[in-house]
Amino acid sequence: MKHSVDRILTTHAGSLSRPANLIALSKAIAIGEAKGDDAGYAKVLAASVADVVKKQRELGVDIPDDGEFGKPVGGSYDYGAWWNYAFARMSGFSAAGSPAAAAHETQHKKSSVADVALTSFANRRDWQKFAEFYLDPESSGSLMGSAARRPVGRPACTGPIKYTGHAALKADIDNLKKAMAAVGADEGFMCSIGPGSFARGIDLYYKTEEEFLFASADAMHEEYKAIVDAGIVLQIDDPSLPDNWDMINPEPPLREFKKFEQVRMEALNHALRGLPADRIRFHICWGSWHGPHTTDIPLKDIVDLVLSVNAGAYSVEAGNVRHEHEWRVWQDVKLPDGKLLIPGVVSHATNIVEHPQVVADRIVRYAKVVGRENVIAGTDCGLGGRIHPQIAWAKLQALAEGAKLATKELWG
Amino acid sequence: MKRSTERILTTHVGSLPRPDDLVALYRDDAPDRTLLPRLRSAIADVVREQARCGIDVVNDGEFGKAMRRAVDFGAWWSYVYDRLAGFTLSQEEAKKGRGAWTFGSKERKEFAAFYAAEASAGQGSGAQATTTQTGTSTARLYGLTCTGPVKYTGHAAIARDIENLKAALGGVPVEEAFMTAVSPATLQILPNAHYKSREDYTWALAEAIRDEYKAIVDAGFVLQIDDPALVDIYDWWFSADDDLAGYRKWAQFQVEAVNHALADIPEDRVRFHICWGSWHGPHKGDVPLKDMADLLLKVKAQAYVIEAGNVRHEHEWKVWQTTRLPAGKLLIPGVVSHATNVLEHPELVADRLIRFARTVGRENVIAGTDCGLGGRVHPQIAWAKLQALSEGAKLATKELWG
Repeated sequence: MKHSVDRILTTHAGSLSRPANLIALSKAIAIGEAKGDDAGYAKVLAASVADVVKKQRELGVDIPDDGEFGKPVGGSYDYGAWWNYAFARMSGFSAAGSPAAAAHETQHKKSSVADVALTSFANRRDWQKFAEFYLDPESSGSLMGSAARRPVGRPACTGPIKYTGHAALKADIDNLKKAMAAVGADEGFMCSIGPGSFARGIDLYYKTEEEFLFASADAMHEEYKAIVDAGIVLQIDDPSLPDNWDMINPEPPLREFKKFEQVRMEALNHALRGLPADRIRFHICWGSWHGPHTTDIPLKDIVDLVLSVNAGAYSVEAGNVRHEHEWRVWQDVKLPDGKLLIPGVVSHATNIVEHPQVVADRIVRYAKVVGRENVIAGTDCGLGGRIHPQIAWAKLQALAEGAKLATKELWG
Repeated sequence: MKRSTERILTTHVGSLPRPDDLVALYRDDAPDRTLLPRLRSAIADVVREQARCGIDVVNDGEFGKAMRRAVDFGAWWSYVYDRLAGFTLSQEEAKKGRGAWTFGSKERKEFAAFYAAEASAGQGSGAQATTTQTGTSTARLYGLTCTGPVKYTGHAAIARDIENLKAALGGVPVEEAFMTAVSPATLQILPNAHYKSREDYTWALAEAIRDEYKAIVDAGFVLQIDDPALVDIYDWWFSADDDLAGYRKWAQFQVEAVNHALADIPEDRVRFHICWGSWHGPHKGDVPLKDMADLLLKVKAQAYVIEAGNVRHEHEWKVWQTTRLPAGKLLIPGVVSHATNVLEHPELVADRLIRFARTVGRENVIAGTDCGLGGRVHPQIAWAKLQALSEGAKLATKELWG
């Protein structure tokens, strides 16, 4: 993976704004009404990826991706594509919407010290503290309304999990490589879900949570390996590591939570077995909905788990008012030699476009703590599907301009 | 005016969330006999709530300024319609919406698709559809035109607001109280069909609104002048041509006008608020603070209340490294903001305050908000932000006083 050897490099967290014609076609796939294996869709997808790679380079993004365009969205505002895409690439899942699955989706699983359990969305702790806000249709953009939610429920695991997404993955890899070659980009990345996040789905088949988790890890290993083998940097998306904290109600003792998460990180490392750490970046965020996020777990409490992942780079949300101060964590916790930090320095959390000087100030703070060559400027989370496309692009531009200002300050 | 002599004091910009039933009374144009008792009790509640959240310098939440929907950006100045003679309301004019005012905006061109989506839907873009909602205070503003000599006629209304706030303060442990009033620069945005020139119009507005300023100060409250226009107008009228010189000329005159209105008022009873408009847009066209800070400091106020808690203006604390804050003056930077639903972490609030304190002196900084929170974020979030503000101020105090 490239380091910021002579200037601050730029990248982002993955999802970018899809063009309208791609959204129209992928909607049918997202809700299970089409398979996405027809030539018409393939053509639009390839062209869209070519465009979005070119666009990223024009805006000043050094390390682009395919915008996650191969992961179908259900509409222009869709927070779930980074997760939902994986169900279509696995066998062992029955169609969404079965009564058993639906019941699981909304049920409040009460947690206890002996049995730490994830609850449903509406029973999350932040949700309950700010219920009036979350339920108010007029409240500004919590995006929990119909446009943002997946139109149908998630599939349930009802048989052995096996990776079956080879064709879709190959198409994604081919599209990205072609698009990169066309603009002369020598490094690109592709996102893939971490087992901890994937295995938050409903399991009606495996005996234990751990079995489900490791079966997911074995299946995902194939996707990870294919991406790395193709010469593309693999980004593991695993918001579940910090995000599960808020999904456990009541709040568990930290020690129990860390045990709960440790298994998940072990499953991830199992899925990453045999792959070189310096081709892997690990992305965490605290969930991208526009809520108060008061129950987000502090980074300092989980940073050891983050660093336990066999990756060469850590992409961490840091560009919003709940987590901006956490650059200080790296004053106390040493970033291991040779590793990279990719802090979010622009965010989906506000429509305001970051001033390049704000971006530069954020980058410089990190560079002074962990070394300028170990910092790549990133975004909090994917921008696509979370804010208006015009604002998403303007934010990437602000990111690149801010990186230039920071470079000037850091290299003189 | 109180300053942060032994700890960082806290305040906010003015607007706070109205209770639903008060909004309903305004919306339905309820008669005084039903509106007034509820207004009085709501103000008593909101003062107590501010104290409970740890706010030192409180106000009436601007409850005397009619808000007709839960989300309504315009109450802070639409109230003058009921208090100034010389304006008429036209439905034709109202239909043009804000577009009639932002003719010179580069940002509105660059982000046309975003702003169009805001007007049509709102939710998905994270921006409210307020501007097109009929019946809001904001919509009412768009319909106002000056058609005759302006004259302040709101003496009874301001006396009522003053009395309500005084009553509410009884027995509540706070340091000080303030009340907001709109600036001439803001009022002169409303189209003028009466005065010969924009300058004459502005001057007349300054002479009219000073009655309100005077009433507030005479009552013993700190007067806060709300003047977002002083910075906003760059984006709306001058940015398309990058006409900074033209803007500065305009702004200089506006400062003269507001100082004219403040002529008989002691400087140490006045705080002056600027922000770059509170709508949830990109704000890429905002004029940098450094390009107008010298003009701002000419306003005859002791304290300057400035948006500084969002990603477009957070870095501007550095302006005070090169522009000296005159001795005796105070800064009230925004350290929590309506610009995001995410709740500021108290440690971030403290970091922001400490930066200002180290630059201009801890005793010269009061912790504030970017803009009013009422009508701009959900009430639950608004109150949580005020709490984060006071928690952050405590952390900053600990670090600054040890």
